[in-house]
Amino acid sequence: MSKLPEELIALLHDTGSIKVIATIDGEGHPHVVVKGSLTTLDNETIVFAEGLEGSLSNKNLVRSIWFDKKVAINITKGLTSYQVKGRPYKYLITGSVFRQLLDRARERRGAEADIAGVWVITPEEVRNESPAVRSSLAREERGLFHSHLDLLRHSE
Amino acid sequence: MSHNQESGVEALSEKYADVPRLIILKLDLQRRGITLSDAAADATCTPYYRGPEVTAFSTKETAVRPLPGPILLRDGTSVLTGPTDSTLLKPYTVDYIDGKFYVYDNGERLDEVDFSPRPEFYGKLTSRGVPMESIAWSRPQRLDLYPYRYCHYWDTREQCKFCGFFTDLKTQKQLAGDSYAKIVHPEDLFETVREAIKEPGRFSQINLTAGTDYSGEVPFENEVKRYVEVLQAIGRNFKTRRFPSQLIAPAYSKQQVKRLYDETGLSSYCPDIEVWDKELFKWICPGKEKWYGRDYWIKSALDAVEIFGKGNVYTNFVAGVEFVQPHGFTSIEQALDSNFEACEYFSKNGVVYLSIVWRPGRGTGLAGQQQPPLEYYVRLIRGLVEIRKHYGLASDNDDFKHCGNHGDSDLERLN
Repeated sequence: MSKLPEELIALLHDTGSIKVIATIDGEGHPHVVVKGSLTTLDNETIVFAEGLEGSLSNKNLVRSIWFDKKVAINITKGLTSYQVKGRPYKYLITGSVFRQLLDRARERRGAEADIAGVWVITPEEVRNESPAVRSSLAREERGLFHSHLDLLRHSE
Repeated sequence: MSHNQESGVEALSEKYADVPRLIILKLDLQRRGITLSDAAADATCTPYYRGPEVTAFSTKETAVRPLPGPILLRDGTSVLTGPTDSTLLKPYTVDYIDGKFYVYDNGERLDEVDFSPRPEFYGKLTSRGVPMESIAWSRPQRLDLYPYRYCHYWDTREQCKFCGFFTDLKTQKQLAGDSYAKIVHPEDLFETVREAIKEPGRFSQINLTAGTDYSGEVPFENEVKRYVEVLQAIGRNFKTRRFPSQLIAPAYSKQQVKRLYDETGLSSYCPDIEVWDKELFKWICPGKEKWYGRDYWIKSALDAVEIFGKGNVYTNFVAGVEFVQPHGFTSIEQALDSNFEACEYFSKNGVVYLSIVWRPGRGTGLAGQQQPPLEYYVRLIRGLVEIRKHYGLASDNDDFKHCGNHGDSDLERLN
C-alpha cells in the first residue's frame, strides 16, 4: 500500500479541516455525511468512527464491504482539498484502534460520547481537488479555452 | 447427502450473489471448525490475545495454551468456532504471517481474520480469590456468564443429543465438582462484571446461560430463584433499571418469566427450542421433552413476548441436527420447509427464531454424524431473515457483534 501525500496527511491530522464521506445505497443513491473523526493512523489507510450501527451511512458501508463497492472521501481546509476514492477494508468493533478512536471521541465530545465501530478504508485513488491545482491542470490540458475573457484583458 | 460434489465458499458466493461472501465463509468456519498453525497458536498466546486459562471448559492443553476469543472477520462479524477434530470435514487453517492472521482452505488463502482481544479483567481475582476469567468469558462485545455449571438432564442421560456443555468435550460426563465449583457465588459475578465494564467500549451486552436445574417445589423454582439473585447482583453495577442482557434458559411458566422481568433488570429471554420438528424434538431433546415437552416450550416463548415485548424473546435452533439419522430428514427441502414453518410461526408471534450451525462434537451423542452441506445453511439464513423482516423483527441481542453464532442475524445489518 502506498503512503498518502504529505499534504493530505497534514489535512487528515488537522482537526480544523472538513471531512466528508460519500456512500451509495442499494439503489445507487448517494449519501454524504461529515465525519469529524476521519484521520489516518498509519499514513496509508483512512479510519473514522461510526456512531450508530443503524445509520444510513453505516448500512451503505456494510453493503460496500460485502459487495465490493467504493466510497469517496473529501478533506478540505481553506483552498486545499483532496478527494480519496477507496474501499472499506475492515470494520473494527473492538481492539486497540477501536479503543483509540473511542478515546478520541470522548476527548472531543465528552465522557458520554460513544461509537459503534471504526471503519478502515483502503485508498485506491487520491486526487488533489484544490481549486488552484485543478485550474492549473485544466489550463495545461485545454489551454485558455474555458477562461472568461474579463480575466484575460489588460488591466486599465 | 454426499459431500463429494459439495460447493464451497467461492462457488456459493457466485450462485447466491445477494449473500455476502464473508457470511458464507463464517457459516463454513462454524461448520468445519479451524485448526491453528503453530505460528497462529503462538500469536494468540501473546498478551494482546491470550485467552482465559481457568474456565469451566478448560482442558490440560488449553490451560497451557489457552484458546483466544472468537474470530473476527474483516466486516466486524464475530465467528464462534474453534479448533476441532470432531467432524468428518477438513477444518480450515488459521495461520499468522507478517503480523496478521489469515484463514486458509487446502493451502489457499481466503481472507484476513483477527481474534477478539483479551479483556482487561482476565488475570484478576474477586475478593474471594476466584479468578474472574473462570467466571466470565469475553466475546468481542459480549460478556458471557455461567452461574450454574452443571446440567441435570445428564443425570438421567436425557441431555440434548448434540450437547457437550460442561464436559471436557471428549467424555460424556458433567465435570462440575471434579474440576470446578458447580455454583458461582452472586458476589463473584457482581465483582467480575463490575471489573469488566470498567474497560471503555469493551462490552455492550451481558449474556447468561447455565446447565438446567429443574429442582424445586415447583419445577425450575430453584433455578429461577438463583437467576433472580444473580441478575440482581449484576444489576447493582448499573445506573439504569434495565441493562442490555439476555438469559438463555429452559422454558419457564409465565409466572416465573414475569418474576425474572419484574425483579431484575433482564432485557431479553431465550428458551431454545433446538429443533422444530415434533418427533425430532422428542428424540434429540429428551430432557426438554420430559420437562415439559415441545408445546410447553413454544407456549413459554410466546407468553414471554407479553412480558418482554415483541423482538425481545428469542429461541435458537441447532441447524443441521434435523438431518441426524436414523430419524432425521433426508432432503434439504424437507429441512428448509420445517425451519421456515417454525420461523413464520414464531415471527408472527413476536419471537425471533435464530439458527446456529451444528458441528458434531466428540463428547456428544451425535459424534460421527454427517453435517448438511454449506449450501443448506446459505439457503436457510436467506429464508429466515426474509421472514423475520416481513414481521418487523430484528435480532439486536444476537447480532453480528454480540453473539457470533448466527449467520441469519448477520444479514440483518442491511435491514
